Order: sequence, then C-alpha cells, then structure tokens
Amino acid sequence: MEELPIKPQDNQTQDQDFSNINLRLLDLSDIDDYMVWAADDKVTQFCSWESHTSKEVAMKYMVDFIIPHPWFRAICIDDRPIGAISVTQKCGSDSRRAEIGYVLGSKYWGKGIATRAVKMVAAEIFFDWPHLERLEGLVDVDNIGSQKVLEKAGFQREGVFRKYFIQKGRARDAVVFSLLSTDPQAKLLV
Amino acid sequence: MEVNSQEISIRPYEITDVDDFMVYAGDEKVTRFTRWDTFTSKDSATAYIKDTCIPHPFCRSICLNNRSIGFLFIKPSSGEDRCRADVGYSLAAEYWGRGIVVKAMKIAISEAVKEFPDVVRFQAFVEVDNKPSQRVLEKIGFLREGLLRKYTFNKGEVRDMVIFSLLANDPMF
Repeated sequence: MEELPIKPQDNQTQDQDFSNINLRLLDLSDIDDYMVWAADDKVTQFCSWESHTSKEVAMKYMVDFIIPHPWFRAICIDDRPIGAISVTQKCGSDSRRAEIGYVLGSKYWGKGIATRAVKMVAAEIFFDWPHLERLEGLVDVDNIGSQKVLEKAGFQREGVFRKYFIQKGRARDAVVFSLLSTDPQAKLLV
Repeated sequence: MEVNSQEISIRPYEITDVDDFMVYAGDEKVTRFTRWDTFTSKDSATAYIKDTCIPHPFCRSICLNNRSIGFLFIKPSSGEDRCRADVGYSLAAEYWGRGIVVKAMKIAISEAVKEFPDVVRFQAFVEVDNKPSQRVLEKIGFLREGLLRKYTFNKGEVRDMVIFSLLANDPMF
C-alpha cells in the first residue's frame, strides 16, 4: 500500500508522466510485471497475502484468485502494470456494499497514483453496479499512506475498529472509510 | 413483578420453547430492529428453532425461571476474521427496561470467551434510532466506534448502523 512521499531513488521514475494511468484486466502475460510488486515485502506488508516466493506461486494466485475475481484491474502506466486495484461486493443483505483494495509497486509510491486510481474506480464502480450504495475501505491503523489515499480520494473516515482482523498472525486495528453513491466525489471523473 | 438477577439464565433452545418464542418473535415491537420478519406461525417458529437456533455455534434462550423470554446469539467469523464475533439479542417487550439483556449478555460473553479462544473482539451493529439497545451495550461496557453510513439493508431500506465493540480483555461493567 502507498506510504508517505519519499525521495525517489530510481532516476528512471523522476521524468515520467504519472498523470496518464489506465486500468485494465490483468492476465498471465503480465506475470513479470506483477512479480515486481507481488514479491516485494515492503509492498505486501499490509496486504492480507504473503509475498509470492516464485513465479509458479504467483501464476497460481493469478489463476485461482485474480482472473476469476468479479472486479480486479491492473493499474498501468503506458499499459504496463505497476499495481492493482479491486472491488469486492459483500453478500446477501449487504450486497449494496463493497470493499476497495489496492496495491502499488514501491518505486511508484508518493506520486498520487493510488489516489488517482481510487478516484477512477469509485466513479466507474457506481456506474457499473447501480445497486451499489456504499464503497468502503479498511486500512491498517499503522498504514498512514493508504489512509491519506482514501482521504484525498474523498472518502469519509468513520472510525477505528479495534482488533478487527488478523494479518500476519496478529489481530489488527482497522480505520474504516466510506464513499456513498450519493457523495459528490463519487461522480467526479479524473 | 420484581426480577431477581438469580432468576435470569441462558440455555440452548428446545423445540418446546416455541410458544414462548412466539410471544416475542411474533411481536412487531420486538422485531422492528431485528433481522427477523415478525414470525406469524408456530410452524415457521418451530422450523427456525430447529434449523437455526439449535445447530447455531452459540444461540441461547434468555430465560426467566427457565421460561424463554428472549434470544441472544454470538457468532464468530472465520479465516482472517476469526478474531471477531457478532452479537445480537431481543427480549419480550413486557421485560424491557429492567437490565435483563445486560445480565444475560454478560453471562453469554463470559462463556463465549472460553468457548471461542480465537475471538478477541465482540461487535454489535445497532440502528441509529434504536437508542435503548445502544444503552444496553454501553451498560455492558461496549465502546461506540462509529456511525457506518448506508451499511446494511433490512426490511426494505438501506440503513445507517452504529458499531460497538467489546474486546475480550475489556472489563465488563
């Protein structure tokens, strides 16, 4: 997940234009680009899944989870995946609610990319799923960068759920954010 | 009639509780804020006791002198969510306002802490307008964590819900 802005150490990213990102489906041919973030412990620190230890593990995860997922997109620059974003609908009487999640390669942190991707997804998802009333994000209480992403994207912070979920073996507090279909930010297109 | 706290107990449901169950589960005043549609027949109530209450991981009748006057449940989640459990309750309207649910829930949570050692968080979702139920949770020692906008759908409407939690090592009042 994105962290506070840091001075980029890789000169290649300093001159790139990050205003033109696009979202598209991920497929197996993207596996090498996918491994750049999915095998990075810095990136997966706050993710529910462990860093992929091999290309085979990553391909299995892509086939079993990513490709069949109802709404999963690669975040791309020049059509090359640098991260991912997904929306997962809840079931039964909670089906008007969905949860957003996102992850970004660490050399792209601090440039507003995740915020831009979240804004794009928010506008698109309420259009794709007209029954959706509430999009929510749950962020580890220590993941300040990711909390800033949702705040900048116009989500409202509603509270902290104490010891809400288990991650890497420990019960974690989660900050909960929401964006409603009726919120003005849900209609802004980037 | 004064209610002595020693007369309040919790136990698993039995099919023979069905008539007492209908007194509260068939009462719109009681079911207004529950997920239940008001029970209108003994058959549907019997099926609910048999198919839901009895096999449930932790569903109990709230009893006064061993007669069922209310309902409570504690339901742990699974996987990476196994550290938390949802709680819910309802009580026959005749017995409201006497601290019965508070007593019953304290007994239930003390038992659940032992029965579900993975659970460190008990949580409850209450409608914004259901002030008496919010007071019940506060009296037990639950902490109000926030208002969740358009969180769930019940009885034909999307609803805002207040969320409360009690951690396994929080003191109960």
